[in-house]
Amino acid sequence: MSTRVANRRIRLLVAIFAAVFALALLRAGWLQAVRAQALGSLGTSQHRETVAVPPHRGTIYDRLGVELAIGSRAITVYANPRQVTDPRAAALAVERDLGLEADEVYPVLADRSNGFVYVQRQAGPEGAEALQRRKIPGLGFYPEERRIYPQRRVGASVLGYAGVDNKGLAGLELELDKTLTGSRGEKTVVKDPFGRTLEVVDSKPGKDGKDVYLTIDHSIQGQVERVLRETRERWAAKAASAVVMDPQTGGILALAVEPGYDANRFPRVAQDRLRNRAVTDTYEPGSTFKIVTISGALETGLVTPSSRFTLPYSIQVADRKIHDAELRGTQTMTTDDILSRSSNVGVVTIAEALGRDRITQWIRRFGFGRPTGVDFPGESKGIVLRPEKWSGSTIGNVPIGQGIAVTPMQMVAAYGAIANKGIWVQPHLVERVGGGREVREVRRRILSRKTSKQVRGMLREVVEEGSGMEAQVPGYRIAGKTGTAAKPDASGGYSTSAYVGSFVGFVPAKDPRLVILVTVDEPRGAIWGGVVAAPAFAEIAKFALQYLEIPPD
Amino acid sequence: MVATLLAGIVALNVAVLRLNMQVEQLDGQRDRLVSQREDLQSQLSTAAAAGRIEQVATGTLGLGAPESTTYLELRHRRR
Repeated sequence: MSTRVANRRIRLLVAIFAAVFALALLRAGWLQAVRAQALGSLGTSQHRETVAVPPHRGTIYDRLGVELAIGSRAITVYANPRQVTDPRAAALAVERDLGLEADEVYPVLADRSNGFVYVQRQAGPEGAEALQRRKIPGLGFYPEERRIYPQRRVGASVLGYAGVDNKGLAGLELELDKTLTGSRGEKTVVKDPFGRTLEVVDSKPGKDGKDVYLTIDHSIQGQVERVLRETRERWAAKAASAVVMDPQTGGILALAVEPGYDANRFPRVAQDRLRNRAVTDTYEPGSTFKIVTISGALETGLVTPSSRFTLPYSIQVADRKIHDAELRGTQTMTTDDILSRSSNVGVVTIAEALGRDRITQWIRRFGFGRPTGVDFPGESKGIVLRPEKWSGSTIGNVPIGQGIAVTPMQMVAAYGAIANKGIWVQPHLVERVGGGREVREVRRRILSRKTSKQVRGMLREVVEEGSGMEAQVPGYRIAGKTGTAAKPDASGGYSTSAYVGSFVGFVPAKDPRLVILVTVDEPRGAIWGGVVAAPAFAEIAKFALQYLEIPPD
Repeated sequence: MVATLLAGIVALNVAVLRLNMQVEQLDGQRDRLVSQREDLQSQLSTAAAAGRIEQVATGTLGLGAPESTTYLELRHRRR
């Protein structure tokens, strides 16, 4: 080979190297200058990930610190079907680890028209983690919290429930949602090619929700629900409700409705069962409402407990004829007798003397016609006619608890005022939030001590000698009142077959510690409050007195 | 000397990386333990529910409801 040929080859080689080097330089320049930002963010997205850290929803405890609603960690499994390479294998893995039917999961994973589908919301952490370890392309995972109600049915109508997004949807879960829900945290992590976290580069801490302590006692609540269940079954009633309150503090110890439900299964429960009737629904109270007129008349000095009235069996009020429940001749009764014997004619006679305006004032003063302010969502204010809307016969029915609608909560608060020496205390369910101070009680005097004592004495006679004898508890003096009211029907009149029987009272009568109300909606076989509701009152009172170690009076 | 320095820096970075990985693993472990604790708490609360205990007491063990409480009032005698 000549030197000339050799030089030519060397030059060619240099040219080739130079060209390759120039191309490499151009490519490097292109990647580092022009594509730098796009490739940088692509790289970052491949090894960096921002993970949401869900806050812990606060626990709801009863007054003794027993958990009523708690959060449990769960993992939600989702999929991008477009990235699932083998839907069949993925479906079988899901069946093995999460226990879902592969036949149902497969079509979802195979449908490439969707970019996002849930495989299972709030799956158990063990199964989800096993699935995650399989590293199936197209499947994704993120942590969530699942709400659990360990007492199941007990207190469900008070607690309400939180949905799959851990948002309160009903009851106290809804009322206290802001308090129970914290704020979501975030952390940005760097991962290696195998998906293992190498480093946390940024972290924004979340804030857990606050724990809430209620005034509810789970043992009393459970017993009240059991008694209501038995009462409802015994009288084949449509529904029943009960409220147990401490009259001195307004703390609700039990708030139960039947039929109830298990809060863990709320999506499958009929909508009608989900509301708490004791707060959201109204009923015509019947004779239990007579204390308003009697208390008003006593307080204003219009009557005394021994004032005497000559009362016929029936009286005409405008176009209505008012009569007593039991047929009798004209009798002389004291105010005391009128309440203990629940005389409609007697109460209407006193109401006519008191007058429309003063009666409506007393109705308001006892808290009817406006929400009590109990810390529960959807409280009804009841239905109370304004004085200008009264007809000629209204004074013949409102004072005896007809033509007026109240909630069980309003009625308990009203009797609580009589039990609490004339001081009305706002009922409440939340004792304290987190480690904070106790909820401040709202209270106002509506009756003098003297009048409340007089009314307490009259109510004691109802149980000792009158219509409420079934409410007696051996060893204790009980004060209370029965109520029986026909339900309004669709035609604007009153039903002749559908009634609400109720009993409301307090115990021990001398120094009341408990106010208890029981209502039985549409009982069959008997309708009277003294027959259908008073025995339930006695059973609830007997348990609560023993449980709370309240000595006999 | 430069080589030793570079080797030291690399070794330090590797050590930090390993520690970071351990921290993450421990975080994961802590989350799993918290999750287990919550599950156990839930099981405990369910098992300790008054209604369930009453059911077991009356149904399985054949126990009856307690009799009414007897209260004795003791008066202090003055001497």
